[in-house]
Amino acid sequence: MEIKPITLTVNGKKYTFMTGPDDVEGVIPNSEVLVKTLRNRLSLTGAKDACEEGACGCCTVIMNGEPVTSCMILTVDCDGADITTIEGLENPKTGELDPLQQAFIDKYAFQCGYCTPGIIMTARALLNKNPHPTREEIGEALSGNFCRCISHYHVFEAVEQVANQGR
Amino acid sequence: MENFEHINAKSFEEAGKAIEGNSKSVVMAGGTDLMTVMRTHILKDYPERVVNLKTIENGAYIKDEGDRIAIGAITKLRDVADSEDVAKACKALGEAAYSVASPLIRNTGTIGGNICQDVRCWYYRYPEDGGGALNCARKGGGECYAIRGDNRYHSIFGGMKTKTTGCSTGCPVGTDIGSYMEFLRKKDMQGACDILIGYNPMGAITGRICAHPCQDGCNRGNLAATEAIGEGDDCVSIHTVERAMGDYMFAHPERYYAAPEKETGKKVVLVGSGPAGLTAAYYLRKAGHDVTVIDSQEKPGGMLRYAIPNYRLPLKYVDRIEELWKGMGIKFQCGVEVGKDIEASRLEADYDKVFYATGAWKRPVLGFDGEEFTEFGLSFLVEVNQWMQKKERKHVLVIGGGNVAMDVAVTAKRLGAESVTLACLEQRNEMPSSEEEIKRALEEGIQIMNGYGVSRANVSGGKVTGMELKKCVKVFDEDYRFSPQYDDTALTSIDADSILMAAGQQVDLSFLKEEYDLAVERGRIKTNEDQATSRKDVYAGGDAVSGPSTVASAIRHGRVAAKNINKEYDIDCPVYYEKKGFTRFDEECLSIKYGVKDIETPVAERRIDKEDSETVSEDAVFEESRRCMNCSCYSVNASDISPILVMNEAEIVTTKKTVSAAEFFTTELDAKDMLEPGELVKEIRVNKLDGYTTHYEKMRTRPSIDFAIISLATAYRKDGDKVGDLRLVLGGVAPVPIRLTKVEEFVKGKVMTDELAEKAAEMAVEDCFVLRKNKAKVVQTQIYVRRFLQSI
Repeated sequence: MEIKPITLTVNGKKYTFMTGPDDVEGVIPNSEVLVKTLRNRLSLTGAKDACEEGACGCCTVIMNGEPVTSCMILTVDCDGADITTIEGLENPKTGELDPLQQAFIDKYAFQCGYCTPGIIMTARALLNKNPHPTREEIGEALSGNFCRCISHYHVFEAVEQVANQGR
Repeated sequence: MENFEHINAKSFEEAGKAIEGNSKSVVMAGGTDLMTVMRTHILKDYPERVVNLKTIENGAYIKDEGDRIAIGAITKLRDVADSEDVAKACKALGEAAYSVASPLIRNTGTIGGNICQDVRCWYYRYPEDGGGALNCARKGGGECYAIRGDNRYHSIFGGMKTKTTGCSTGCPVGTDIGSYMEFLRKKDMQGACDILIGYNPMGAITGRICAHPCQDGCNRGNLAATEAIGEGDDCVSIHTVERAMGDYMFAHPERYYAAPEKETGKKVVLVGSGPAGLTAAYYLRKAGHDVTVIDSQEKPGGMLRYAIPNYRLPLKYVDRIEELWKGMGIKFQCGVEVGKDIEASRLEADYDKVFYATGAWKRPVLGFDGEEFTEFGLSFLVEVNQWMQKKERKHVLVIGGGNVAMDVAVTAKRLGAESVTLACLEQRNEMPSSEEEIKRALEEGIQIMNGYGVSRANVSGGKVTGMELKKCVKVFDEDYRFSPQYDDTALTSIDADSILMAAGQQVDLSFLKEEYDLAVERGRIKTNEDQATSRKDVYAGGDAVSGPSTVASAIRHGRVAAKNINKEYDIDCPVYYEKKGFTRFDEECLSIKYGVKDIETPVAERRIDKEDSETVSEDAVFEESRRCMNCSCYSVNASDISPILVMNEAEIVTTKKTVSAAEFFTTELDAKDMLEPGELVKEIRVNKLDGYTTHYEKMRTRPSIDFAIISLATAYRKDGDKVGDLRLVLGGVAPVPIRLTKVEEFVKGKVMTDELAEKAAEMAVEDCFVLRKNKAKVVQTQIYVRRFLQSI
């Protein structure tokens, strides 16, 4: 089986991987999905590997500006992609959190926290494109991110806290 | 997920080439559907190769092309939903794209992937790690589990035929049983027989003597775990039904056995007048050829006449065939032996086509001591059928476990033998004979000894006195190949004054001279799947090709040979009836557990020369047909985009053709079957519906997860206060999108009122076929249509 190189930019850092067979050490199998690569090879465990069918949104990352479910994307298909995970939101030098992350803390917008990275990434992508979304737009954007602890009401407040800044 | 080879395609054509000719390769666009299919292992075949379409250059676009817009197949659903061009051309398309799943999925999923997505039925999608994926009808298995299972979201307009059905697949003739049963449910005997005649011109014969493997495949006979487990359920008595149909056909020769209207002037000769030869003769004559049947015996019929006992198949039916076939203008030359009276090479010179179906009449030599003192069971049957002779046989031993052995044993018993014992290698559940034949033998007091093989015949003073049998410990090897193993020390002797051997028959091709060069394999004539032999213009079929097999298999050979001979002359015969529209069944009759049975003669009254059973009444046949589930697929189309494209009268552009959306989505159960291997959808052309108001309405319980339970794609144009034009397409309610043409015509040109809307909505659901649990969908569909019309 052919071994192909791919290059990903994750949280501003470039990575080159070999992809192809599943029996060569250090080579990413063609069947590996992005969330596995991020978690197991780059130790970026913020994105959660939960439903594995794109339904829950816990594995959401921002890819080329759009929020996507990283469990439904083959790593081998990500050649040249620019990916941001929850770990990439804070300021790498100062460690200062993204305002949206801070807002989630301020508003206690989570309970168990399992789905929170996915929710934050989807909300971040929304705010990047639309800095002042309405509650309806926030709800629609987050309709693919599920939370079993019913943190939704506080999530609205947290996202709105950022959305209302500078308004 | 297991690994696979991965290829990045640069163009649709390149992707097509990469999957062509390899059934275990797939294309992947967004992957949001395919990846789940692969992960859950719902399909038997896991792809070896995945071809990525996302790398196709310029494959994603939305272009204004004047009176239409063109959308590249790998355009993301998000872009379709966001596009102003799409919104202007056909707002409903944008709405439909926006309604698909969640924004996260729309950021990945493509429009081409959406219209080619796999079935969403929960039985189809049941995951492998949930206790095993279900091999439902749609996947090539026999049964649609939704028929008797939870069908609350399934079709309300009926099902569609899948590629295989339990009964038709089991039937060696391949008869479309479900379709003729549908006619019988409407009490239309003629309509049903019109289907049968396309497959089998002698239903009266097969209905009587075929071992009906169709019934083994019947899903009624193998109750799924959806209803009272353990209560059992009869299979549909297909053979009983077919027998009545066959009798009906024999009684209506003007419709089924009329001479052809036109003669082609081509001469065809058939060697052997058994079921294969007779079937080929029928379809060849129907096509208008000059057909001659040659047989070495005195009268036509082959095994039907000479080997099958009269109590199963009275001679009058074989005589009837002879009469009907002659009536069609088929010529019989009996008592003519190829190789003696006429040479094979001469036949080729005298006729345009030759078909050999000479059967398997030869006695095999098993090579045990005293074999010469035993008789060949088949010859015994022939003699009995010819002369009804009553040679003194007191204690008969029959060797063999197939249907011929059963015929021999029962015939010997009815001829007056005091005792008949039948010994065979197989255990009771392995015996090749059909259940009914074994039952008949047991009823008539025949002793069956399972697990015994021949050691030697005991002979004293030139007369047979019995047989020594040895224990057979195993008949088949691991691959279920015939390979008997014996325990030579476990011997037993049976006293008998007559031993009849019914353990196999052989094909005798000695009539073909050495200089006649015809390819032969394992002593049989070698043919391809078209029944063509190695010689040009020479075909063959029946036992001479397959070795000893069934009448049904011979019929298929005869038909296939005739079809291919006819094809050479550009004649389409036989024509198979093709079922159009949606299939349905009789919901009420799912609970009738018992099938109709042949009317049997009591054991004490059975005779050697009178048929054991009678044909049931037509009413009983109609009644029984109601028990047939007409196994089809009752899932619904899940795509939100396809109903819109049908409504828009859009076009689908593939790498090989351009087809209308209506044709692409509604011709086949699976839109993917509209594509040849390696053919891919590359563009969708959407008309600009200027002046129309379009809309997409979708019902589901949980937005962002669920597929449409019902969807309605609409477009209308007002003409003053009247409805100028109107288009209505339903999604999620049938295996394919449904355009409500009748409702459209009814409403067009009228002023919309509540009353009109109500009436039109009723019309929309008048053809509904409700399953046990989906009545609510009918009500909801009606409401959707009514509300939409009221909104005009």
